[in-house]
Amino acid sequence: MSNSHLVELNDVDKVFHTRHFFFKDEDTARRRLYAKRVVHAVDRVTFGIRHGEIFGLLGPNGAGKTTTVKMISGLVRPSSGDVFVDGLHVERKRLKVLRKVGVVLEGTRTCVWPLTPLENLAYFGNLKDVKGSILKQRARELLIFMGLKDKMNVQVRKLSRGEKQKLAICIALIADPPVILLDEPTTGLDVQTSRVIKDKIVQMTREQGKCVLVTTHDMHVAQELCDRIGIINMGQLVACKPTEELLSLFFDLTYEFHLDRLPDSDALADLPGVLEVEPARHEDGPVLVLRLQPELAQRSEALYTVTGRLREQGVLLRAIIQRQASLESVFLHLTTSPVDLPKVALTQPSGAEVR
Amino acid sequence: MGFLLVLKAELVRAFIIMRRYWFATLTSIIIGYGVLLMLILTFFYNRSEIQGWADKTIGENATNWALGFIVGMFAFGIVGLFSQGLQGMARSGELEQVYMSPHGLITNFLARSFVASVSSILSSALMLWLIALSVKGKLHADFGPTLVLLALTYLNLIGFGFMVGGLVLVFKQTGQIAILIRTALIFLAIFATKDVENWWLPARLLAHILPITDAAICLKMVLIEGIGTDVFAQDSFWFLIISSAIWTFLGISCFKIMENWSRDKGTLGAY
Repeated sequence: MSNSHLVELNDVDKVFHTRHFFFKDEDTARRRLYAKRVVHAVDRVTFGIRHGEIFGLLGPNGAGKTTTVKMISGLVRPSSGDVFVDGLHVERKRLKVLRKVGVVLEGTRTCVWPLTPLENLAYFGNLKDVKGSILKQRARELLIFMGLKDKMNVQVRKLSRGEKQKLAICIALIADPPVILLDEPTTGLDVQTSRVIKDKIVQMTREQGKCVLVTTHDMHVAQELCDRIGIINMGQLVACKPTEELLSLFFDLTYEFHLDRLPDSDALADLPGVLEVEPARHEDGPVLVLRLQPELAQRSEALYTVTGRLREQGVLLRAIIQRQASLESVFLHLTTSPVDLPKVALTQPSGAEVR
Repeated sequence: MGFLLVLKAELVRAFIIMRRYWFATLTSIIIGYGVLLMLILTFFYNRSEIQGWADKTIGENATNWALGFIVGMFAFGIVGLFSQGLQGMARSGELEQVYMSPHGLITNFLARSFVASVSSILSSALMLWLIALSVKGKLHADFGPTLVLLALTYLNLIGFGFMVGGLVLVFKQTGQIAILIRTALIFLAIFATKDVENWWLPARLLAHILPITDAAICLKMVLIEGIGTDVFAQDSFWFLIISSAIWTFLGISCFKIMENWSRDKGTLGAY
C-alpha cells in the first residue's frame, strides 16, 4: 500500500447474488418459478487516488461505478479485496473512515426538504460531529462558496435542481473531509449550473488539496475536470491513465486519408500495422479512416504501405490528417470493442503502474 | 456524547419542522381528538346514554379505552418508524445519508425514535386529557411511575422496532407484514387488562412476549386505577422489565446483523 494515495482499492471484487421468484426468463421467454443469479458488479478493480487529484470513473450503465463509490464509502461490503481511505481499512475502521469521506450519491435525496440550506448544514454537521461556532462559520462559507448566499434561508423544497445539487455538495463538505466522492454530480443539470459545479470542484481540489472521485457519463465533464481517468466496463477497469495520456494513446492511432475517390478498402485492411479501415464521406470529398498499430515502427510501415497502395490504385491523395481523439471516442472504443485494444498499454496487473 | 449530538440534531430538526408546519401539527391533534371521540361515542354510548352524558362508569371505561388506543397508536408509530419509515428512507436515499454519519445507523435510529416518542407522548397526553375531560373520565397524574413505565415501553418498542427494521433492511417486503403486526399491537393495547393472566396459556405467553401488553396494563393501572407506585409490585411490571431487556438486546443484535447483511446484498439504498 502506498502512502501517497488517499484512496486505494486493491483487487476489489463485488458479487451480488440475487433470487428471483415467479418471473419471465428473457432468454427463453418462459415463465419460471425460481432462479438464482450471480452478478459480478466489480471484478478485481485496483486503483488509487492521490491528494489534490480529481479522478474520473467512467463507464456505461451497470458498469460498476456506483458500486465502487459505495464500497469506498462503506455502503456496500466488497466480496473480496481491500479498500483503504487515508490508510484506514474501510471494513475494519468504517466509522473512522466515514469522518474522512463526503459523498454525493446520484438520484438520492441528500437533504431534508422542509429545512433551509443553513438548517440542513447544521443538521448534517451535528450528525457528522461538527459543533458550535465552527459549524456555523463553515456552513456560511460553504454556501457562499457554492453561490447559495441568497438561498441560505429558503426551504430546500423551493430550490431548483441545480441548487439542491450544490447544497448536496455543501453537505458532503461540511465536515471538511479530505476525500469527496461525487456520483454523477452534473447529471440532469443545465449547462451553466454544470459549469459552476465543475469550477467549484476544481477550485476546492486545487485550493484545499482534496481528493475527488467523480463518476460521470458526460465525457466533456471528465475531459475538462479529471486529472486521471479510469474506464470501467462490466465491472472491470479497462483503462486507468492520466487524461492526457489516455487521449494521446488514441490521438496517435487514427488517421484520415482525404482522397479524390474511395479505394478498395478490403485490400488495405489486411496490411500489416492496420487495425481498422473505415470509408467515410465528408463535405469536401471521400475520406478513408484508418486505425493503426500503436507501436511507432509498425505505424510508420503501415503509413508507407497504405500510401503506396493508394498510389498503385491511382487514387489522388488530398491530405493526411491525424484525428484528434476525444474522450468520447476513447470511451466508446474501450467499452464496445475491448478485444482489439492495446490492453497492456492501458492497464497493468501491478497496481502501482496503473495508479 | 455521539448520541447526544445526534439527539440534538434530531430534536432541532423535529422542532423546526413542527414550528414551520404548526398548522399541520395542530390540525393533526384536533383530527386525532375528533376521531377518537367519535369512536368512543360509537362504541360506548347509545342514543339514550349520550343524553346521560355524565355517567361516571361509562366515562371511565371510555377513558380506559382511549388510553389503550393512544398507547396502541404510540406503538404503531414507533414500530412504523422502523418499518414503513425505514422503507421510505431507503426509497428516497435518506437512509444512505444517515448511514454515512460516523455515529452509525443504530445511534441515529435511537435518537430519531426518541424524538418521535417524546413528540408523540406530548401530543397524546394532551389528546388523552381532552378526551377524559369530554367524557367525564378521570386520569391520575402520577408522574414518577408514568415516566418509568413510558421509558420501559419505549425500550420495549424500539427493541421490537429494531427487530422489524433489521428485517426490512434485507427483506423490504417485510414492511407490509409489519402493518399487520402494528395493527395487532393497537388491538392488544386496547384490550389488554389484568385478565390476561386468565387467558389460555399459549395466548397468555404470546401476549407477554409482544411488547405492548404489559406496558398497556401497567399504564392503565397507574393512570386509570391510580395505584401509583404499587404498580412496581405487579407481575405485569416485571414482565415489562424482562421483555424490555430481551427485546432491546434481541432487536439491536438483529439489526446489527441485518445491517451487515444488507451491505453485503447492497440493499441499503434500494427498495
